[in-house]
Amino acid sequence: MITLNKILRMLRNNKVGMIGLLIFLSFVIIAVFADRIAPYDPMKIQYDSDGGVKRLQPPSKEHYLGTTWMGRDVFSQMIVGSRIAVLVGVISAVCVVFIGTNIGLIAGYFGGTLDNVMMRLVDIVYGIPFLPFALILVAILGPGIKNIILAIVLITWRNSSRVIRSQVLSLKNRTFIEAAKLSGASHWRIIYKHIAPNVMPLSLVYVSTTMASAIMTESSLSFLGFGDPLQVSWGKILYACYSSQAMFKAWWWMIPPGIAITLLVLSGYLMGRAFEEIANPKLRER
Amino acid sequence: MKLLELNNVSIDYKTIEGNIRAVDKICLSIEDGEILGLVGESGCGKTTLIKSIIGLLPQNGTVAEGEIFFENENLLKLTKDEMRKKRWKDISMITQSAMNSLNPVYKISWQIVEAIQAHKEISKEDAYKRAEELFELVGLEKGRLNDYPHQYSGGMKQRAIIAMALALNPKIIIADEPTTALDVIVQSQILERINKLLENYQGSMILVTHDMSVIAQTCTKVAVMYGGKIVEYGEVNQVFKEPNHPYTMGLKNAFPSLVGEKNDLISIPGIPPNLLNEIKGCRFKDRCPFSIEKCSQENPKKTNIEEGFFYCHREEEREKLRVLASKQETWLQENIKE
Amino acid sequence: MRLLKYITKRILVMLLTLFVLVTILFFLFRVVPGDPVSMFIDSGLDRESQELLLKHYGLDKPIGQQYIIYIKNLLKGDFGNSFQYGKSALEVIAERFCNTMILMVTSLIIAFFIGITAGAALAWKRNTKFDMIGTIIALIVRCAPIFWTGMILLSIFAFKLKILPLGGMNTPGMRFDNLLEKYLNFDFLKHLILPAVTAALYSAATPLLVMRTSMLEVIKEDYIELARAKGLKEKRIMRKHAMRTALLPVVTIFAVQAGFAIGGSVLIETVFRWPGMGREIVLAVSFRDYPLAQTAFLLIGVMTALFNLIADILYAYLDPRVALD
Repeated sequence: MITLNKILRMLRNNKVGMIGLLIFLSFVIIAVFADRIAPYDPMKIQYDSDGGVKRLQPPSKEHYLGTTWMGRDVFSQMIVGSRIAVLVGVISAVCVVFIGTNIGLIAGYFGGTLDNVMMRLVDIVYGIPFLPFALILVAILGPGIKNIILAIVLITWRNSSRVIRSQVLSLKNRTFIEAAKLSGASHWRIIYKHIAPNVMPLSLVYVSTTMASAIMTESSLSFLGFGDPLQVSWGKILYACYSSQAMFKAWWWMIPPGIAITLLVLSGYLMGRAFEEIANPKLRER
Repeated sequence: MKLLELNNVSIDYKTIEGNIRAVDKICLSIEDGEILGLVGESGCGKTTLIKSIIGLLPQNGTVAEGEIFFENENLLKLTKDEMRKKRWKDISMITQSAMNSLNPVYKISWQIVEAIQAHKEISKEDAYKRAEELFELVGLEKGRLNDYPHQYSGGMKQRAIIAMALALNPKIIIADEPTTALDVIVQSQILERINKLLENYQGSMILVTHDMSVIAQTCTKVAVMYGGKIVEYGEVNQVFKEPNHPYTMGLKNAFPSLVGEKNDLISIPGIPPNLLNEIKGCRFKDRCPFSIEKCSQENPKKTNIEEGFFYCHREEEREKLRVLASKQETWLQENIKE
Repeated sequence: MRLLKYITKRILVMLLTLFVLVTILFFLFRVVPGDPVSMFIDSGLDRESQELLLKHYGLDKPIGQQYIIYIKNLLKGDFGNSFQYGKSALEVIAERFCNTMILMVTSLIIAFFIGITAGAALAWKRNTKFDMIGTIIALIVRCAPIFWTGMILLSIFAFKLKILPLGGMNTPGMRFDNLLEKYLNFDFLKHLILPAVTAALYSAATPLLVMRTSMLEVIKEDYIELARAKGLKEKRIMRKHAMRTALLPVVTIFAVQAGFAIGGSVLIETVFRWPGMGREIVLAVSFRDYPLAQTAFLLIGVMTALFNLIADILYAYLDPRVALD
């Protein structure tokens, strides 16, 4: 049986996973202390001593990453923008995997019609083009973090549920499950006490990768102009940069958000890879 | 004429724990038309030895010293491409796990034709005709040529590999445990087939196995390997009648004899030595029921006998040992002193 | 015969999926608070014109009835009229569909070509610097937002070097007599390069990583050793034996990847102002032109399903062990 402790210990020995975790934690720290780190209010227009707007200023001592076309401080926007990314990433990942794991567990364990119906549902959801659907949903329900997360959750649960179901199918007939059945344990006890801990590494794979794809989705929707109107996010910075037509002149405005998104998404994939190696010992040799 | 001659060959594997000398200063030769059995437990270096002959050692393995002459040409001195051209045309192979040796996505005919065309300027049609001949030879229906490997049984796959190995009339075929992966009945069918083929086959063969009874049925010469060394070599009937090395005596009595007297089956206790560390003295001493103090101190010297040789400190007493070795109690763990 | 049965079954699942999509979308657009209809119809119009417009679009009937009419019309091939363009939504989308298809198919072909060859090459040179650097680059490209990569490439090749156009599909003002002429010219090709390459870079990373892993697995197989023993040339062993079998998992991910790519067309087409379905969806959604958005979405769904089907058939063709059932 694989316990959380054991997983963490294995993660510690996994270089790739540790790099991912380190990147992720740095962003979490930045997000938590964003208010204290950011030198300016990200939405405040900065003026110079003559009262003119500091439009598209290149990086300087006052503005580490220069200013936007509207005269806002890019560095502060970057710092505060990490909040949305981390928040959307973590919340979506937890919700998605919670739902996906449970559906996988139940469908796999009980089998029969229930399993059939659930897996057909998975098939159908697989047929829905993700980003266009999220776009339409957010556009209709109104831009905002809540709706973005909802859109992500409604679609992404499919991935984890399918894989976890097949894992459950292979676990179901193992002797220790048989033994638990014989000893008179209830179905729910078997599912959550005996099977669930064994699919946990796999669930963690999906927590990490879902986090990555959720962050990507949020920035994509923001880039298309459907981000939360009240919050700064990296995707929105790029949206503003793109639509101001200034992106060719202001690299300091265009480059940093992309790097931040790439790094955070990368951290999710790296952690996912590490958990995959833990879940599947065959991969460990490489 | 000597077809293949191994001269003082040592092979090292680089591993994380250190160097492993899997094959240690081996001298061995095969005459034209000879069928040599190479026998020993798994991990004794048999597979390593034959892979060095065909030039397919794994990446971390190298021939550290020695020469391998094939038709008086040192194979180790050849370029990669020259060696590649020799493979299959002159030296072909029947692999250990024929079950997985056929590429699952190609038809069998394609795979045989490929082997032929790799070395011969020949049309696809002619190569296919050759494949048909070969199938007849190994007892497979021509019609099955266009099947995929997954449509074959284990025995059929093995026959297909044997057919492939014969395709270019190689001068020597190396068969690495050709029957191990099969179930017993199929094993004996395949063995019979090999024996039948050998009647008409002009070339030589090295048959690698851990099963002494297979050697007895098929080979003319036998080399017994232990811990990376050849401990005994000789003419098959001679070795079976009068094994000289205690390990050979043990192996012989570990398998039911197909011919002649009924014997008590024994099993040699213990495991083969770890080659990571240098071993002083005889390599078999820890498992040998007859080991004496001298065995741990110095390497046994070579004793040449008629058409063969062996390495043992107690060569003088071998007749007495032979009698003892045929008794089960001799091989009990407690009778073997450390 | 078995293939036919299999395809029929797949198409049935596909139709069911599409039906569910249509239904979800229909109700999403109409049940939602804020009444998108009222947002579309100019409140400055007098009452009579408003009602006339409502009637024209069939919006005056109860929602259940609207749904039944909508489905009936769909089955007849009538996808409704676009609010913005004032003509059949299908007509508007048909052209966009071609544009998207060309972009997507081009980029997917490039992506899988790069992914398969580079992935195989990395695996063949496993544990070298070449392998490590290649894998890291692939991972980074995989994680970079596609619209950002597009923006960077635009800055470099269109703005700095001025060798490629800034966006769009044709230089404005060009006229074409027929479809073929529109696509078969140098100007179109120049417009195609950047969006196709950007999409391809993004889509190549996953097949590359999968191919690499799969190759590493295959190289250890016994049939590769036998191929060596057969005296085949290394190149042939890699191409005909290792790559051919290692390809199978790559084909499996093709469908998912194609789905991603088609969804990603929303971003690519926005960045490069490519007049395709993805961009049209963004515009239609912004204008609350729901017949148009629905039609575009549905066609994207059809496209995704088609790629799924292609991947399945391809897999069955490549792996003789697969029994279609």
